[in-house]
Amino acid sequence: MTERAGYLPGLDADALQWEAHNYGPREASLLVLLPVLKGEQITAVTQYVRSQACARLKTLPVGQIVDAIDLAVARLLDRQDPYRRKMDNLLPVITGYDREMVHLGLTGYLKTFRKPELQRFLAEDFTNPSILNDFQPLAKGGFGRAFGPDVLGHIWAGNVPGLPLWSLVAGLLVKAGNVGKVSSAEPLFAGWFAQVLAEVEPDLADCLAVVWWRGGDAEPETALLHQADLVLGYGRNESLAAIQSRMPITTRFLAYGHKVSFALVSAAALDPSRAAATARLAAYDVARYDQQGCYAPHVVFVERGGVVSPETFAHYVAHGLAALERKFPRGLLSMAETSGVAAWRHSEEMTVGGQVFGDEAGAWTVSYQAEDTAFRPSGLNRTIRIVAVDTLAVVPTIVAPFKALLQTVGIAAPPKELFALAAALGEVGVTRIAALGDMTTPEAGWHHDGRFNLQDLVEITEIDGRAEAASDRLAPYVD
Amino acid sequence: MDFVGKVILVTGASRGIGAAIAKAFATEGAAIIVNYLQNQTAADATVADCEARGGVALAFQADVTDRQAVDGLVQKTLEEFGKIDVLVNNAFRPYTFDPEARKMHWQLDWSDYQNQIDGAVKAAHIMAQAVLPSMLSRSEGSIIHLASNLVARPTVPYHDYTTAKAALIGFSRNLAMELGPLGIRVNSIAPGLVYPTEASRSTKETMKEAIINQTPLGRIATPEDVSGPVLFLASDWSKFMTGQTLYVDGGMVMG
Amino acid sequence: MPIDDPLNLNRVMPAEGMGIAHMEYNAIVADLLDFIAVDGPDEAAFNRMALRLFAYQFENNKPFAKFIRARGKTPRTVQSWTDIPAVPINAFKTLDLTCCPHGDAVAVFMTSGTTLGGLRGKSYHSTLKVYDASMSRNFAKRFMVGREQMDMGILFPTTAMMPNSSLAHYLSLAVQTFGTSGSAHLIGDDGIDFERLMADLTRAEETGQPYGLLGASFSLVHVLDELQRRGQTVRLPEGSRILDTGGFKGQSRELDLDEFYDALYHTFGVPRSHCINMYGMTELSTQFYDDGNAVCPSVKSGPHWIRTRVVNPLTGVAVAKGKAGVLAHTDLAHFNIVTTILTEDAGIETDYGFLLLGRATGAEAQGCSMAVDEFLKAAGAA
Repeated sequence: MTERAGYLPGLDADALQWEAHNYGPREASLLVLLPVLKGEQITAVTQYVRSQACARLKTLPVGQIVDAIDLAVARLLDRQDPYRRKMDNLLPVITGYDREMVHLGLTGYLKTFRKPELQRFLAEDFTNPSILNDFQPLAKGGFGRAFGPDVLGHIWAGNVPGLPLWSLVAGLLVKAGNVGKVSSAEPLFAGWFAQVLAEVEPDLADCLAVVWWRGGDAEPETALLHQADLVLGYGRNESLAAIQSRMPITTRFLAYGHKVSFALVSAAALDPSRAAATARLAAYDVARYDQQGCYAPHVVFVERGGVVSPETFAHYVAHGLAALERKFPRGLLSMAETSGVAAWRHSEEMTVGGQVFGDEAGAWTVSYQAEDTAFRPSGLNRTIRIVAVDTLAVVPTIVAPFKALLQTVGIAAPPKELFALAAALGEVGVTRIAALGDMTTPEAGWHHDGRFNLQDLVEITEIDGRAEAASDRLAPYVD
Repeated sequence: MDFVGKVILVTGASRGIGAAIAKAFATEGAAIIVNYLQNQTAADATVADCEARGGVALAFQADVTDRQAVDGLVQKTLEEFGKIDVLVNNAFRPYTFDPEARKMHWQLDWSDYQNQIDGAVKAAHIMAQAVLPSMLSRSEGSIIHLASNLVARPTVPYHDYTTAKAALIGFSRNLAMELGPLGIRVNSIAPGLVYPTEASRSTKETMKEAIINQTPLGRIATPEDVSGPVLFLASDWSKFMTGQTLYVDGGMVMG
Repeated sequence: MPIDDPLNLNRVMPAEGMGIAHMEYNAIVADLLDFIAVDGPDEAAFNRMALRLFAYQFENNKPFAKFIRARGKTPRTVQSWTDIPAVPINAFKTLDLTCCPHGDAVAVFMTSGTTLGGLRGKSYHSTLKVYDASMSRNFAKRFMVGREQMDMGILFPTTAMMPNSSLAHYLSLAVQTFGTSGSAHLIGDDGIDFERLMADLTRAEETGQPYGLLGASFSLVHVLDELQRRGQTVRLPEGSRILDTGGFKGQSRELDLDEFYDALYHTFGVPRSHCINMYGMTELSTQFYDDGNAVCPSVKSGPHWIRTRVVNPLTGVAVAKGKAGVLAHTDLAHFNIVTTILTEDAGIETDYGFLLLGRATGAEAQGCSMAVDEFLKAAGAA
């Protein structure tokens, strides 16, 4: 089976060089052809997208863009749609994630991009979303209008299915032409979305492109960085630093580095009627996408003093992971990933007061730590450190040294405690508090890494209040 | 079915049903702890029989209604074998099944009941608590209780014995509820009259005939008949079963 | 600890003849020496000895017994040496994995401690008799290849300089057992003694006496660099050999193996087929060798008292032959510490041994999460 990645309006596909990449186990392998673009081709496609976006996208009212995305998403929510079928069938092969988990994950994820959610997305960042269409009165006086970049560059990373949709949709909503570079870890989703969007709204067909170049090839990357007006980058710090070093000084670069997340369980949640269910939710957060997402927990801090002890909670999580392994088996691990998990497991075994539980096949591991409260990342791929603490109040201090790396915290605690913990965690850099079980599914309109997804992309052109008054004096109808 | 690498603790395993269960596990390659109360000679014979069948076995004396003794039993087991995968609570207080000599209800003292309840439920409770840490550390385990089909059909009303076994099934179901979310399964086996065993030796032929007449499969259970379902409940074949009671009585009780 | 006697010929177990454990200890030492001395004992004999040592270690080393029990196994349930749980070498840093009281140790070999936290893995040896027998018999076969003695140059510090280095002991033993009186340690307090090295090399070239140059891989690289700087090369006589060990990981310069062995040939005139790489570890008492490096990576193999399995490091189960896995070694000669260890080295099983693929490192997260290494790096930078 062969699939072509990318979406390249204005380029002649036959004139390009395509590189074959194999995915999946040999018996069910998938061949993906990736377009090996050079600097001049990136320049050409970016210029084309710029001209088309300026001519078409920028003239559409934002409501119409919302409708177009809604239509495209509706198609992808239809499990009979050919593109959705491709996603359901091929993304598990590409990423190694369990088929059912990918299917359910996609549906849940795509649902956050329907019209009502997109409207919420807009309302979250703009008191009056019409500011994207026209000058609108500003609270301070005068008028303002928000302009997105002509071309928004995206450099995506990782293999969590559908991730590029966030920034792509954000770019479209602010009427930017979009040129996004996919990661070879998951090169297909973005291109498929672009094709569906082009089918449902031909006006947008040439306003976005999905590109690829060989890792480490600085020339095409530099071309994109120079052509784009604003660039969003995802990835590890080294890669982001490399991109930053190539950025023209006049172009803004918004970097989303890798992050880690964790969870807190209050003693109040640890009674016999609720503890097991809470643990199952925590296990789900660990299992989903095999812990590869930044919102997946690495550590669960569990408070002592409840009827159910942190140790028993750890056992509940262990069984939760065992049960999920039957429902959504973990993906096959590479030798390096296996070594990573093994090294983590072996070092967790050696801590004072530590106990490690896992299944014999190594599909999941729980490390229960009664004494060692250090915040350390897990071994990934369904490995979790469960740390007993006397009070959750100590956790912000434990994680504070890692301020720049923290993202989501899943919390199971009563309301008063939730808000107190949220305040303390916000101070040490946490940007999202979620319920257990929801950690890996951010809601529509969330502030990714604490930022304004849309506001960060636009510039406001404002008409000074006095300018309006002054112009009034020049009106032909002035008496 | 393969029990190589599995560690099985069978209480009251020197003779009768317990010994048959131990030997059946041994045939499948398991490591077995043959717990006994008094008869060391019989326990040693069971161990030898287990080893002859390819298993690894050790006999440990312990009164399973004595917490200290049980703690020692489990500790010794873990020292020698490293873990406990399966606990078979088979031991019970000696009881003579004689329909003609049995006590009528009004002849029973509460201490008769207490004695049987201790032998069945107290032992099961202490044993379960003692093996739990080892099972939890591996996030799996199977606990099997030996009850009786008299609970469902008291052909002969052995009040004290059967009431204790009924309590044991209730205990087993509650424990299944508690330990399910921790990955540990708890089930019961309810055999009919098993012959020959120490307890059933004095059963009269007429009684056996009467039972056979009511049994679809037309005979009395042997100790070996009981071990099959025990191995099933101990194995992964039954990995999605917990809180169940399997009747092993040739179909006398259905349900 | 005395350091002037690297062979430890004068040392014996301090409490010989005291009680059953010591009787078994003495019997084990004697039987192991026999086992090493005979030619190719069969699988059953290896298995018997491995299980006997396993039981001995289980009996005499509490942390080891605890570790093994936590794996759900004991000598009672383990029937085959392949079922003995392998101890990750990481455990040597925190667990006291030795059957002998520390005070009785005649040698303590430690890892370099370059890893996280600076903890060093330690192996306490109650005697070096078995270690030395293992080393000598194997070295004679794989490096000396029939020759009794050779002029040797050792590019490594002496045992006096590095009393806790198993490699220093190994090389001292090599030079004392197999070196002629003209052999020398070429690393002193001031680093490599190039003048002595050049003099020895030139002498070998002139006399036609085969010469053995042995040492750490990175020391050989320093020598190559220096000779290149000086524009000097030599043609060592036929029969000369080079032994390197340790590789380049974590060194200032990482060389491609082909480049390295080509350079050895061009600089010393020793063909790649006579350049032997030794693979050893502080956590073992036996070494692996290849039969030269005409082709890289070369196949490594060990003597009959060590067995290697290529396993999935999570499950300990052997991977299919030809697939990459992590190396687990069962070294009977490491009898008083831990016989079966899980390394952090990746390898592939072949017909005659295994290919060493370097360190089995973890992977990066595939999504936007962080693996341990990336986290530590990012946390350090933040």
